[in-house]
Amino acid sequence: MVRHPVSNAVRVTAVLVLCGGAGSVWAGHPEGDVRAGRETYVRSCAVCHGAEGAGDGPYARRFYPRPRDLTSGIYKFRSTVSGTAPTDEDLHRAIAHGLPGTNMPDWRILDEQAKWDIVAYLKTLSPVFGTIPPEPVILASDPGQARADLAQGREVYTKLGCASCHGEQGRANGPSASAFMDDWGMPIRPANLTQGWNYRGGGAPRDIVMRVLAGIDGSGMPSYTGAAEPEDVWQMAYYVASLQEPIEWNPIVRAVRLGGAPPAMPDDARWDGVPAVGVRLRNAVDSDGVWAQPATVNLVQVQTARTEEELLVRVVWDDPTEDRDPQAADRFAMLLRPHGVRGDQVSLQAWPYRGAPPLDVCAWRASDGRAREIVADRFDAVDASRVSAAPLTAQAAYEDGRWRLVLRRPLVQRGLEHAAVLGEEPFAPLAFAVWDGGNPGARAVSPWLDVRLEEPASGAAHAATH
Amino acid sequence: MGRQRLLSMLAVIAVAIGCGSGTPQDAQATGPDERAGEPIVIAQATGGDSAPEGGASVTGSVRFEGTPPERERIRMSADPVCEQKHQSAVYKENVVVNDNGTLRNVFVYVKEGVQGSHPAPSEPVVLDQSGCGYTPHVFGVRVNQPLEIRNSDATLHNVNAKPSGNRPFNLAQPVLGMKTTKTFTEPEIMVPFKCNVHPWMSAYAGVVAHPFFGVTGEDGAFTISGLPAGDYVLEAWHEEYGTKTQPVSVPASGSASVEFAFSAN
Repeated sequence: MVRHPVSNAVRVTAVLVLCGGAGSVWAGHPEGDVRAGRETYVRSCAVCHGAEGAGDGPYARRFYPRPRDLTSGIYKFRSTVSGTAPTDEDLHRAIAHGLPGTNMPDWRILDEQAKWDIVAYLKTLSPVFGTIPPEPVILASDPGQARADLAQGREVYTKLGCASCHGEQGRANGPSASAFMDDWGMPIRPANLTQGWNYRGGGAPRDIVMRVLAGIDGSGMPSYTGAAEPEDVWQMAYYVASLQEPIEWNPIVRAVRLGGAPPAMPDDARWDGVPAVGVRLRNAVDSDGVWAQPATVNLVQVQTARTEEELLVRVVWDDPTEDRDPQAADRFAMLLRPHGVRGDQVSLQAWPYRGAPPLDVCAWRASDGRAREIVADRFDAVDASRVSAAPLTAQAAYEDGRWRLVLRRPLVQRGLEHAAVLGEEPFAPLAFAVWDGGNPGARAVSPWLDVRLEEPASGAAHAATH
Repeated sequence: MGRQRLLSMLAVIAVAIGCGSGTPQDAQATGPDERAGEPIVIAQATGGDSAPEGGASVTGSVRFEGTPPERERIRMSADPVCEQKHQSAVYKENVVVNDNGTLRNVFVYVKEGVQGSHPAPSEPVVLDQSGCGYTPHVFGVRVNQPLEIRNSDATLHNVNAKPSGNRPFNLAQPVLGMKTTKTFTEPEIMVPFKCNVHPWMSAYAGVVAHPFFGVTGEDGAFTISGLPAGDYVLEAWHEEYGTKTQPVSVPASGSASVEFAFSAN
């Protein structure tokens, strides 16, 4: 027998070391240390979640949704029955992956042991971990995409009453979608199911099944355990996943050159050939830096096209209510950089503010369907009669929770002082602001994109004179 | 025994010890035995196997003083199934003053002085969702007594219960006729129920460890019977006006009388 040259001492040591670790390997994850977890929590988590975990950190009010109150024992994203504690893995997942669409980042920078230490510390913050042990949800098994029947999934979606909050097409515009409060007293809205990138617990069918069967404690989303067969919920999950719309996230949007009459109507078939770019919107915070309410609009899909003399912008956004009352109408604004204004683009989360530089505002409102352009240092100047304005052409349509709008603007807006001049340079900065009349006081704003105007095929420079 | 074999045996023993020392951290790891802090106290039996049967009762009523506030109308347009079930206007039930000046939906119970243990009956208390409202609006249920929650509407209701001592839950009932049974394991005054789909819906459960409670109805009166002679403290709870307590001495038979009054202020 050939003896391995490793000495016996080493062999015994190796075995003992293995056994010391075997205890935790048996557990499925490393044992967390509460004191180490507290230290890591104070360094990494307390700034949002608060010194004692009550969700009241100094930055908490800037965020919507608010950082979780970890002392309440109520956890939204679990693999367990409603009313029971989350598992250690549920807590670890939120820390490791973050919650998409919120300010909870993934904590990849922390090593595994640090994450499990935090899990151990979190469990000391609420008595629920000792008194109401986690009861895993029964998931049944994944039928797989090949055996998913979307028509059946749609029937289950109807039978379970999902549309009453999530809407017939998942656009979060169901008749009961407003007037929700979460368990911590903040307004909350049902998820827009077309936005797979925004599902807090993940957008895969398995994640959807988990949310439906476990419910989202602390929100209005109930648990369907006992109310639906898990096999039916799987079919419905594949249907819901089919509602998700893929997004091309790109800070540059190409203004495709079109010949012939410009596609002024939002449903003109020629828009089908124009690539769309997704732009994330965020609510502007108020002057105290407080982000008080959920955005009802958090995404705009943009397509741009140009003719010899015009820029056409087609935008699509979800808004749960069609608001045409002039007192509180849905509105949309496209912002451009005024000609001759120096300095970098100002963030729309800050603008307007006293002393702010002016912006070129192309604004549409649903009350009369009209659009005008001004160059001003605040949005509401667009309605002031004494402000110099240029009319714009706009066509809009609202259908089941979704606005579609085409704005047309001359590349060179004559007669409006400092109006943006498009076409002089290959890129022009562009941004958006959206108001939902049904959510007064909130304004959702985008970061700045660049629109790239496509040159004519012949390469001849276009001098827009007329 | 050669050194090799001794060391190997030690290794085997070390493995056996070491691998047994880890604590399996499955889902049930933090079970009731490992709780730190107070154990949950249900009704304490002070003596005897069962409560003495009493022959006395406490009767009374709850008056409302002052001008009753206007009742708020409920709009059910969000759900045609709800609207269609009502021929006349529907009003919130948070403050209902009866024609005789008494207050409806007041939960009255014996707060102190109950002796012995009172095991819960097995018949359920029924909480019904009908016409997109809870019936009853305020009710009592015993600790460990089944509460059967029914959906009598052809629409989705979710039963969102937010107790603070008992285990909360938020369960969907999408189908007409569905029933879900829950129990509460400790006394609590009061457990609020709401529906997120129909946000005007509201109910309250008084969870008590004995049968000595009642809810005022259209006549604003209550009767609590079966009490043994003794001194008790009664509490009246109203969802808007809070609680009031009163001591009462109950004779061996016959009845004692207690009056409560709440006022709008």
